[in-house]
Amino acid sequence: MLEVRDLEVAFGPVAPLSGVSFSLAKGETLGIVGESGSGKSLTAMSVMGLLPLSGGRITAGSIVFDGQELTTLAEPAYRKLRGARLGLITQNPMTSLDPLQKIGPQVDDVAVLHLGMTGSEARARTIDILGTLRIPEPQLICDRYPHQMSGGMKQRIVIAMALAADPDVLVADEPTTALDVTVQAQIIRLLDDLVKERDLALVLITHDMSVVAQTCDKVVVMYAGRAIEHGPVEAIFDAPQHPYTQALIGCIPKGLSDDEHLTGIPGTVPTVLNYPTGCPFHPRCLRAEDVCSTDRPAFVQHGQSAAACHFAGAAP
Amino acid sequence: MTNKLEVRNFSKQFTSPGGPFRKARAMHAVNDVSFDLPAGRVIGVVGESGCGKSTLARLILRLIEPSTGSLKFDGDDLRAKTPTQMRKLRADMQMVFQDPYSAIDPRYTIARAVMEPFEVQGRKPQGTAVEEIDALLTMVGLNPGLAGSFPHQISGGQKQRVGIARALALRPSLLVLDEPTASLDVSVQAQIISLLEQLRDDLGLTYLFISHDLSLVRYFCDEILVMYLGRVVEALPDTDLPARHPYTATLMDSTFAPDPKLRRVITSLEGEVPSPFNLPPGCAFADRCPGATAVCRTETPILSALDGHPVACHHPL
Amino acid sequence: MTSMTGTAARAMAGFGGTAVGRAFGSWLGKIAGGFLVLLILTAIFAPWITPFDYAAQDLMNGNAPPGWPHLLGTDQFGRDVLSRVIYGARTSLSVSATAIAISITVGMTLGAAAGYFGGFFERAVMTVVDLTWSFPDILIALIFVAIIGPGLTSTTFAIAIAYLAQFTRLTRAQIVRLKRETFIEATINLGAKPRHILLKHLLPNAIAPVIVVGMLAIGDGIVLEATLGFFGLGAQPPTPSWGAMMSSGTAQLFLSPWVIIFPGVVVAVTVIAVNLFGDELIRALDIRDRIRGA
Repeated sequence: MLEVRDLEVAFGPVAPLSGVSFSLAKGETLGIVGESGSGKSLTAMSVMGLLPLSGGRITAGSIVFDGQELTTLAEPAYRKLRGARLGLITQNPMTSLDPLQKIGPQVDDVAVLHLGMTGSEARARTIDILGTLRIPEPQLICDRYPHQMSGGMKQRIVIAMALAADPDVLVADEPTTALDVTVQAQIIRLLDDLVKERDLALVLITHDMSVVAQTCDKVVVMYAGRAIEHGPVEAIFDAPQHPYTQALIGCIPKGLSDDEHLTGIPGTVPTVLNYPTGCPFHPRCLRAEDVCSTDRPAFVQHGQSAAACHFAGAAP
Repeated sequence: MTNKLEVRNFSKQFTSPGGPFRKARAMHAVNDVSFDLPAGRVIGVVGESGCGKSTLARLILRLIEPSTGSLKFDGDDLRAKTPTQMRKLRADMQMVFQDPYSAIDPRYTIARAVMEPFEVQGRKPQGTAVEEIDALLTMVGLNPGLAGSFPHQISGGQKQRVGIARALALRPSLLVLDEPTASLDVSVQAQIISLLEQLRDDLGLTYLFISHDLSLVRYFCDEILVMYLGRVVEALPDTDLPARHPYTATLMDSTFAPDPKLRRVITSLEGEVPSPFNLPPGCAFADRCPGATAVCRTETPILSALDGHPVACHHPL
Repeated sequence: MTSMTGTAARAMAGFGGTAVGRAFGSWLGKIAGGFLVLLILTAIFAPWITPFDYAAQDLMNGNAPPGWPHLLGTDQFGRDVLSRVIYGARTSLSVSATAIAISITVGMTLGAAAGYFGGFFERAVMTVVDLTWSFPDILIALIFVAIIGPGLTSTTFAIAIAYLAQFTRLTRAQIVRLKRETFIEATINLGAKPRHILLKHLLPNAIAPVIVVGMLAIGDGIVLEATLGFFGLGAQPPTPSWGAMMSSGTAQLFLSPWVIIFPGVVVAVTVIAVNLFGDELIRALDIRDRIRGA
């Protein structure tokens, strides 16, 4: 459904993203996981064709959606795709909703615009979608303003807008980060159900390895603007090949035994202005050797997953 | 074991006065909270936004005055202290803040920031100022070469280490940690947690750890207080114990394990934390609780201990 | 986000030499700043560089057009216009700068106290200060003239009061914003006294925008001084002041326009230079939104 190959993005002279590849089929959830500055949100914006808004552009690679190349697509054509076949859920629901407009019209607009429905058809559809998102009393909600609702409810409205035109691919950029844990669980379950019921392809962008473990089928791990490991979720968690993936999993307390000890990863996440040469992780990597600071490692297939590490597959 | 802290019936009510266009409102940010923090232990306070956990931290340090309740620090009635006495005592009870980005004056160098506690308390460090700066920065795992840097020149994790160094400069015995890792990257969060563990062992510190992250609290703490809308609904004397309050059970169900083999079936708890203003009578969780009965909506359950595991629920699990 | 706070922090930490240096960085800053430096030097060294005594009358040579030896001509009493413009810089700059200095001192004290202590005190201070804002500057000047007579002292106080509200409000807004920062709570928790919080944290962090607005206000002060001088409420003869010179020039506007044109041009250029350089400073310090927010 969606295939990204060697994506590279530049803002003027800096290239905050390069060498990102993944593919996604219907009914699948792909997790893109990384810390701040890893380029995961830029990946989402690239797929949605929203880079020009912030002054960025795609300088290499391809994004193929349902057989159609998106990197060369003109903006008017992209606009038809966006919202209709590609849905986006952002981190902060407050900025995705118009504070001056009632909920009903905001959701209706999507169907009117993309499906050519009349106002009353669209409203019926809106109420139907709000119902499937387990929003109580959808008719009443339509007459409310965003500020009258809680954060979790607003995020559901944003999801409803993303679903209104029945998209094939949903890109969710940190959809639960701003929410409380119990609400996060509800939203995660909702997204899970949607993927199954509607046969959606979901790209879930998150910094939280636990969320990935809970929901995703496939994972791309990103660091300093590059994909460094990808594969099926079980393989990534059972036998992570890249030292960064291993360390990232080790940063989360599992609560299985009292002997468990977190150490973290020494050093700090690099910013786009000081991306290291060679393997981007080498300054923080315990296994790094001379070659890591000079040569950029290529992806090495190991079992079902592949890692960009000079020592991938070698016993740790 | 002596108690570092004894908190009794702490309540804090915020009121917003009415005006021509709005009604007066009262909010019970913290409601009848009591607990003991034994010296050398780590108690975690966990809850979602608006549960009053950060207010509780500030009440304990008397950065805010409680509406009612008593507070003993090392057996000493803290609320009876004059402002001058309190200022001296603060040297012994410090806090690490959630947002390291604004926790240091942007005009201060790192060296000046970690020496400010001495200036404020009118004390002299053991050795020279340079030795003390070196010792403090080394203690929190920072390169002493950073002493001349300004906060904007260092990373969030490094800023949080400076915050910890500042808090420890006067060698306090109690540290209140208010979500010290919530605004940091995961890899840096684990570094800071590991540093706090090591400092606790080296310096014999007592911690009150405030967090929204149950798995982190379970990993880091000896005991857990679960708060919901200003009240302690459950006190887990051991982090491995199963939940007895339905809210704690929900929290546990909402916390995912970093392992796809341990996927949860997410229970269908609906709704969100209600507004803390003008709460209805009865159990605050009743509206979201699958096991709520008539009594839950009329009578507020009291935190009561059966076999040393207190829970505030009419129908504990 | 982080980089934004970084820039702001850098701007705050670097106020002083580096910010002024950066303001001089652009060509606009160089021209405006250069002119101001030249003007200040001229005012300081006026006795050594003026070709004639500013008060010396030479009635035989009245209303002489620009030429030699009177480069900018003479006025109706035959006094050298260039010398009077140079000495006028002294009057204008010192009156305006003194007035703004008084205004900043009082305004920062009131604003800091209001912002820090809050409550009834804050409301009382802000009400009184806002009242002074609602009076026209000329009216305030007239009140002082009525009390202590016309002259530069009245002008100075009138300008000081005219800008008091602006500095009080700006400082109060800074303090209220800074009070919510975590480092203030952290310092209180170290056992710091209010005096320490105010003097070591709040005021040093609040000062940059106040200084910049103060600098812009000096430009406005020059105009106000000239206005008051023009109406005869400011400098009294024979003290030269740009405003008073223009006023006396109106009588011979067509006979000897240079008497009114040159002081007018200098006022205009000075005010433009002050504003341009102030803008460069605001840019260098990255405090535009903090000034606008007040």
